[in-house]
Amino acid sequence: MIEAEDLRKSFRSGRREIRAVDGVSFCAHDGQITGLLGPNGAGKTTTLRMLYTLMRPDAGRVLVDGIDAAKDPSRVRYLLGVLPDARGVYKRLTARENIEYFGRLQGVAPALISERIERLAGALDMRDFLDRRAEGFSQGQRTKTAVARALVHDPHNVLLDEPTNGLDVMTTRSLRRFLHGLKADGRCVLFSSHLMPEVAQLCDRIVVIAHGRVVADGTPDEIRELTGLPDLEDAFVKVIGSEEGLFA
Amino acid sequence: MSAWWTVFRKELLDALRDRRMVLVSFVIMPLAVPLVLAGMSALGARKQVEKLEATLELPVAGAEHAPNLCAWLASHNLRIIRPPADPDAAVREQEREVILRIDKSFAEDWRAGQPARVELIFDSSRPIQSGTTINRVRGLLEGYDREVGSLRLLARGIHPAVSNPLQIASRDVATPESRFDLAQQLLPYLLLLLAFIGGMQLAIDATAGERERHSLEPLLTTPASREAIISGKILATAAFTLISLAATLLAYRIAFAILPGERLDMSLDVPVAALAKLFVVILPIVMLGATLLTALAAFARSHREAQGYLPLLIFLPMIPTLFLMVAPVRTQLWMLAVPFLSQNQLILRILRSEPISAQDWAVSMGCSLLLAGVAWFVAARLYHREELAASS
Repeated sequence: MIEAEDLRKSFRSGRREIRAVDGVSFCAHDGQITGLLGPNGAGKTTTLRMLYTLMRPDAGRVLVDGIDAAKDPSRVRYLLGVLPDARGVYKRLTARENIEYFGRLQGVAPALISERIERLAGALDMRDFLDRRAEGFSQGQRTKTAVARALVHDPHNVLLDEPTNGLDVMTTRSLRRFLHGLKADGRCVLFSSHLMPEVAQLCDRIVVIAHGRVVADGTPDEIRELTGLPDLEDAFVKVIGSEEGLFA
Repeated sequence: MSAWWTVFRKELLDALRDRRMVLVSFVIMPLAVPLVLAGMSALGARKQVEKLEATLELPVAGAEHAPNLCAWLASHNLRIIRPPADPDAAVREQEREVILRIDKSFAEDWRAGQPARVELIFDSSRPIQSGTTINRVRGLLEGYDREVGSLRLLARGIHPAVSNPLQIASRDVATPESRFDLAQQLLPYLLLLLAFIGGMQLAIDATAGERERHSLEPLLTTPASREAIISGKILATAAFTLISLAATLLAYRIAFAILPGERLDMSLDVPVAALAKLFVVILPIVMLGATLLTALAAFARSHREAQGYLPLLIFLPMIPTLFLMVAPVRTQLWMLAVPFLSQNQLILRILRSEPISAQDWAVSMGCSLLLAGVAWFVAARLYHREELAASS
C-alpha cells in the first residue's frame, strides 16, 4: 500500500517559484490498479519521484507499507518496483545482464535472480532478445527490459510512470495484461498516464491531478456520479477544468 | 554482495566492452608514451654526437686578418666559410648558430703583443639548439689562446705554469642515471598525467553519460546508497586507469629491452623493481584522479560540459614539473605533502636510484590519499543533489 499525505514540492526557475505539487494526498491499495491521471505538466512525475524517494518533499509524508520514506528511504526503495520516466538501459550489456545488475543491487540471491528472469521473460514475452546486447533495441524492448529489472526483486508495490508511452499497440496490450497479472497477485499497482481511455480501461481507482492538486479521487463510477456526467471523458474534462493536454 | 562491488563489476564490464575506450587506454596510450620518450631520447643523443664530432662550418668575418688562427681552427675539424653580409641578423634569424668576427686591428695588435680581439656572435636565448656548438667554438678559441700564450712565455724563458696559479680539476659525481635530460624530466609528467586523467572516459561515461542516457534515475531507485554507487564507480575508474598504467610501464620496459642501446639514452632505462616502486608512488594520484573526475562528472550537466574541464585537469599535474624545471631545489618535507609535486620528486628519485625513507613514503601517500578522501566526500555530496537525476 502506498499513501501520500499532503505532498508539496516547489522548484525555482530563475526568480520565479513554481509549485509543481501543491498538496497531493491519495492512497493506492493492495490488489488494485490505481491510475494517476492528469494533463502534461500537472505534477504526476514529481509526485511519483517523491514516492520513490528520488526527491524529498518540501512538506507532507510518504508511507509505503506503513514505512515513512523520509525515515528509511532505502527500505522504501526495496519495497517498491519502479519504472521511472527515464528508462535508459545499458547498451553494452544484454537484457539479461541489465536485469541481473538491478537484482544484485536489490540484494537478491543469484540463483533467485535467474529464476525470476525466466519468469519475467515469459510474462513479458522477451525471450527472443533476452541475451542480446541492448544496443539497437526497439523502444518496446527497452521498456520491457526496464519493467523486468524494476520487478526482479519481486516487490509488493509497483510504480510506473507513463508505462505505455511510445509503445506500439501490441506491446501496450501485452503490458496491460502484465499489469492485470500483478493485480491478481495482490500487489499494489500505481501508474501515471495522460491517456484517459487507458486509465478508464485498466484502473480500479482513479486519482485525477491538475495544477499540482488532486481534483477527483474514486472509482470510475464515483467520478461519473460526482460530475453528474454519464460519459467518463466529459467527466474528466469537467474536473480538470479544461481539455488542455489531455489528448496529447 | 555489497552494492559497491556490484557497481564496480558492472562499470568495469561495461567499459571493457567499449572497444574504442579499450583501444585508446590499453594499446595506444601505452605505446605512445615509450615511443615519444624513446624517440626524443634517440634524436637528442644523435644530435649531440653530430654536433660534437661532425665537421662544423664556421663563418668567419675578417678571416684575412688572422690566417694562422684560421688555419689552426681548420686543423681542428672546423671548416672556415665566407660570412653572410650581416652576421648579427644571420644569427638572429637562426641561419647560423655562431659566427666569428676578427677585428681589423687583429694583426697589428698581435704583432705588438697586445690582446687581439675576436668576437663570437651567438644567441644565448637558444641554449638547447646551439649551446653545444657555441661551447665547441669557444673551447677551441680558448685552446688556441692557451697554446700561443704558453709558447710566448717559453720564448721569454718563463715556465708556462707561472701563469696558471690554479689548477682546476672537475669531478662529476652524477651517476649516469642522474644526468639532466629533457626526456627524463618528461617521464614523471607523462606518468602522472596518465594516472590522473587516464580514467577520464570511464568516469564521465559512468556519471554524466549515465545521466544523458537516462539510466541514472532507475539506478537511484534501487536501495543501493549513493555512497556505495559512487564508490563502485570511482574504484572502477581507478582499476581501469591502473590497467592502462601497468600496460604503459610494461610497454616502456619492453621498448628499452628491444631497442638498440647505443641509439638511446640509457639513463631512461628503468629496472623492474623501480617500475614497481613507480607504480606504488602513482597509486594515490590514480585514486585522486578517479575521485575528482567522478565529482566533476556529477557536477557537470552533460558529457560535453564535463569534457570542457579537461584542459584544466591536464594543466594541474604540469605545475610541479614546470616548477621543478625552473627552480630545481632540494626536496623538503613539505613538498612531499603536495600532490603531484610530491610524486614528481619521488619519481625522479626512483629514476636516479636514490633512497626514499619510510617517512617520505608515508607523507607522500598519506597526504594525497587524504585529498582523495576529501574529493570522495565532495563527490558524494554532489550525488545527493536532486538535480543530479531529476533534471528533466
